[in-house]
Amino acid sequence: MKALLQKHKQYLLTGVSHVIPFIACGGILIALSITFVPMTATGPDFSKAPALVKKMLTIGTTAFQLFPAVLAGFIAFGMASRPGLVPGFVGGFIAGMPQIVDGKSASAGFLGAIIIGMVAGHVTNLLKKLKVPTMFRPIMPIIVIPILSALPVGLLMLTLNIPIATIMVDMMKFLEGLQSGSQIVLAMVLGAMIAFDMGGPVNKAAFFFGAAMIQQGNYAIMGACAAAICTPPLGLGLATLIGRKSWTEEQRESGLAALGMGLVGVTEGAIPFAAGDPLRVIPTIMLGSMVSATIAMLGGVGDHAPHGGPIVLPVIDHRLIYVVAIITGSLVTAITINLIKKNSNPATTK
Amino acid sequence: MNFVAVTACPTGIAHTYMAAAQLEKTAKKLGHTIKVETQGAMGIQNELTQAEVDAADAVILATDIAIEQEERFANARKIQVPVQAALKDPEAIFAQAK
Repeated sequence: MKALLQKHKQYLLTGVSHVIPFIACGGILIALSITFVPMTATGPDFSKAPALVKKMLTIGTTAFQLFPAVLAGFIAFGMASRPGLVPGFVGGFIAGMPQIVDGKSASAGFLGAIIIGMVAGHVTNLLKKLKVPTMFRPIMPIIVIPILSALPVGLLMLTLNIPIATIMVDMMKFLEGLQSGSQIVLAMVLGAMIAFDMGGPVNKAAFFFGAAMIQQGNYAIMGACAAAICTPPLGLGLATLIGRKSWTEEQRESGLAALGMGLVGVTEGAIPFAAGDPLRVIPTIMLGSMVSATIAMLGGVGDHAPHGGPIVLPVIDHRLIYVVAIITGSLVTAITINLIKKNSNPATTK
Repeated sequence: MNFVAVTACPTGIAHTYMAAAQLEKTAKKLGHTIKVETQGAMGIQNELTQAEVDAADAVILATDIAIEQEERFANARKIQVPVQAALKDPEAIFAQAK
């Protein structure tokens, strides 16, 4: 059972790894084009925008529309390799089609894409097992499997579209209806997850939730993640600068590297520290990331790109609070780790 | 011993390359030869040829996602580990090959 789940996680991550650049392209182009037009009560007004800005918006939106298809397509690819692409892409594209739920436009989106991608992979793998006479073998991959897989997968997704879109709408309503109390809880959980394994599977789960929400038009989740992503390396780098005596020369060098990686939003910069001293370092960076995520969430920080750290500042809503969140979280990590190191037996300090 | 390896993580910007560096470093330390292919966000880099795979004693797959061109390793002796394992305890991976 565990091995089965592990495998499906690998399939899901294969899809995610291919779709992240699409969210980056879509999110950033849309955010940039919005900065060129006046903001009105009903949202950005593109009616008088220059042609190039409108085109930029169209290109960004297109990258977003491809999101469910690419996600499902590469989940199925991860499971069944090349024959999985057709049912995966077709099923995912259907999942991205707009549906009417409660009188509003919605789609089965990433949730539908994940489900249908997995289904497409399994269906394809079953079809690949069919024993056929040698003379028919060449037509299997180019005619038989594409049709026999896309047909049931497509039918299933067309049936599931409205139910899954309803779940998505409820989830978005739930996220948007969160009061500040529950917002703090959500932000703390996200922050803790981001810092916990510094770029590993737990971090990626929180990150992908934030990234998928960008495509749904909710930028707050990614905003909290973005602030949390960079505080572990920034905080630890800062700690080596503040308390030089507590750190070895090698660690001070990794501290500088960590600062650089923090600035470009790569949580992995904290790994060299955590690897040598996980019991002290991991709780400290989790604390810092929880602080920065909470400040960002309460301050209404939004992030339009699936990436974190100061480097995404141009596509951040409420930039000042974002910077404050990062600085505060990093300081919390830096001061805490230095205090712990100072009060601990130097013999056990690596 | 002579190894080839592939590293691949979901985002493909940090872990993939850190794992590759660790494997190279550890192989050198243990007196093995190794060539590591990375399948990161930039696609396949330092690609392994079929001849290199065939000549290797074992293939180390430090991967969290499905990799491309897996058919190259169909007949090879495979050691499959998560990317994290290459970062945390690379020597244990080489020990498995004995």
